[in-house]
Amino acid sequence: MTRVLRVQLLRFGLPGALLILLVGTVALFLDRGLWSGGWMELAMEQRDHLMLLCPLALAIGGWLARREHRATVTELFAGTPRPQHQRVLLTLTAVGLPIALAYPAILAVSAPWIMATAEYLPSAAYGVVAVGVLAVIASAWTGLAVGRLVPSPATAPGLAVAGFVAVLAGPMAFREEWQSVLASPAWAMSPWNEFQTVPAAVSAAQAILALTVIVAAAVVLSARRWQTRSVAAAPIALGLVAAIAVMPHDYDRVTIDPVAQELVCTDDAPRVCVGRAHSGLLTEITPKAREALALLAKLPGAPTSAQEDTDNYLDESDIKPPPDGVVEFRMEVGPDGRLADAGHLVTRMLEGGGTSFANCTEFYEIPVARAAGSWLSGRAPVNDPEEAGVTFDDGTPYTVLPETTALWEKLRALPEAEALAKVAAVRKAGLECTDMTGLLG
Amino acid sequence: MRTISAAETAPATYAWSVHAEQLKVKAGRHLAVDGLDLRMQNGVHGLLGPNGAGKTTLMRALATVLRPAGGKLTILGQDVGGRGNLRQARRGLGYLPQEFGFYPRFTVREFVEYMAWLKEMPKHTIPGAAQRAIERVGLTTRADARMKTLSGGMLRRAGIAQAIVNNPLVLLLDEPTVGLDPEQRLDFRELLRDLAVDSCVLVSTHLVEDVVAACTDVLMVNEGRLVFQGDANTLIDHGGPNDAGDSPAERGYSALLRRARNGGVA
Repeated sequence: MTRVLRVQLLRFGLPGALLILLVGTVALFLDRGLWSGGWMELAMEQRDHLMLLCPLALAIGGWLARREHRATVTELFAGTPRPQHQRVLLTLTAVGLPIALAYPAILAVSAPWIMATAEYLPSAAYGVVAVGVLAVIASAWTGLAVGRLVPSPATAPGLAVAGFVAVLAGPMAFREEWQSVLASPAWAMSPWNEFQTVPAAVSAAQAILALTVIVAAAVVLSARRWQTRSVAAAPIALGLVAAIAVMPHDYDRVTIDPVAQELVCTDDAPRVCVGRAHSGLLTEITPKAREALALLAKLPGAPTSAQEDTDNYLDESDIKPPPDGVVEFRMEVGPDGRLADAGHLVTRMLEGGGTSFANCTEFYEIPVARAAGSWLSGRAPVNDPEEAGVTFDDGTPYTVLPETTALWEKLRALPEAEALAKVAAVRKAGLECTDMTGLLG
Repeated sequence: MRTISAAETAPATYAWSVHAEQLKVKAGRHLAVDGLDLRMQNGVHGLLGPNGAGKTTLMRALATVLRPAGGKLTILGQDVGGRGNLRQARRGLGYLPQEFGFYPRFTVREFVEYMAWLKEMPKHTIPGAAQRAIERVGLTTRADARMKTLSGGMLRRAGIAQAIVNNPLVLLLDEPTVGLDPEQRLDFRELLRDLAVDSCVLVSTHLVEDVVAACTDVLMVNEGRLVFQGDANTLIDHGGPNDAGDSPAERGYSALLRRARNGGVA
């Protein structure tokens, strides 16, 4: 790196890049519960934060252009032989390079949070990050270009506000999801679950569009005349056509990665499996799942293995009942990257004698299923921590604890064999999806 | 000590470092330089003239910042108003504008090095050239201070440092002594004499005494035209006891200016 570039990086690019790094890292830290489930979630959540970072990069570009304008160096530089495009290239590099590095640096700072638990790193995540890098460069360079054309004190704050509105509200002007995704790199990036992905074609289309903005900004900055600046419209038009051609027009914001859904299992029995996206948590989950299997073993036809339910419940065709002899469980990842509500996993797996509401939504009676599970565990029913904060329509906290406890008390009062028969009946109803009402008397 | 390149020792292929014929230059819509003829070789040339005479416009045209509106302007053998190699001419120029713009967060060294880069000096020569330029203007102890921390006089010297960093063959200094204390002005005159051995130095100033003390040649412009070119003694000779001024040189200047305003040319 030349001395001149080093100085330009230090004096021009670094302060803005540090601001991007700070804002991006703090925003991710505050939202860590949304991305702690894996690398793709982290990449997507960071893209969601472009609604902050793009306006910020725009404002940084505008502010740097204003600073250059205030330095009144035009007269001095105008008499030097170095061609304008080389000067502009140096400025663009000095501003773009640190900001481009700041974006993955935010990831590097945040990564240790999930380093120990996130194992599955799909290649699509690199595409998601690459688009983010291009988007912040495009924003900063556009800010520079606008700031050069309008060197007013109001330009930088104006760009921040305009950028925020454009990134946030711009996509709403479109009816089709794929159009909205092209309109904003932050759109549809809030992750729904750990099995989600962003197709490579979508990232490619967004990257093409960001690149064209980058080229257009460079053209505007290099040009001295309005006629030459108008040439910037050409790459934008070409990029738009190419991006529309590459973009899948049937794109759905919740696209599931089948590889992330694939089960990863223990080698030894009883077998415990989790989705590949959660493979880093298998060690933590296995003893709890086996404890649940041991407690379920007293039931006739008890399950002999456990696996994570990786179905996407937004897509009915993806919902499948578990294989025979398998108890399914759903799990959440906590903000620390580890299993959320770890103490409650066994309780959930015992519900309905190892059956799931998800596979029988019509007839599943939650108080009945939970009372049966509590009897199997030998512990009094408790509220599911996941339901904390959920309310009924009248605003009172959601709970089925009184009914569950009453049913559990009745079960406890029964002789062992009679109670076991009733719990077995609950399991059978859960598996066959028949009415559970009244099964516990 | 520095290595002299072959280009620097090569004989010049032009007769005059600066040659203007019927030069016309606009400042906005106003024709500030109007049919000016000028020839300059190595040496220190002092440019005098009242406010609005066209001094700064002329300096800007010589610095290739303004394109001539008419006539012919040749700098270092290149026709900078026409089809000459502007880039080649600019490599041999040094320029300190009247309003010296700079990056406040840069250190003196960083700014001078950046200017050397803009002047397309070979990369490996830049650090040494910047150090020499800073030393020549007496800013060595402040070389690593931010520009925004410098006093007015120091800033002016930093401005001179950037102008001379490329050892220009034509050096244009517009009001270089503003902000310099008397001792610094004496040092500056010494620097000018030193620079003029190998360069054509044009210094625009209102300080007639500076011109007399440091310049081998005096130029005087009024209303966009050259009204006098000669040595300091000739300037003094034009003055009489009844002309305005506190020194013989100032009286000579006043007399020439009065004569020019009355329609005469010296």
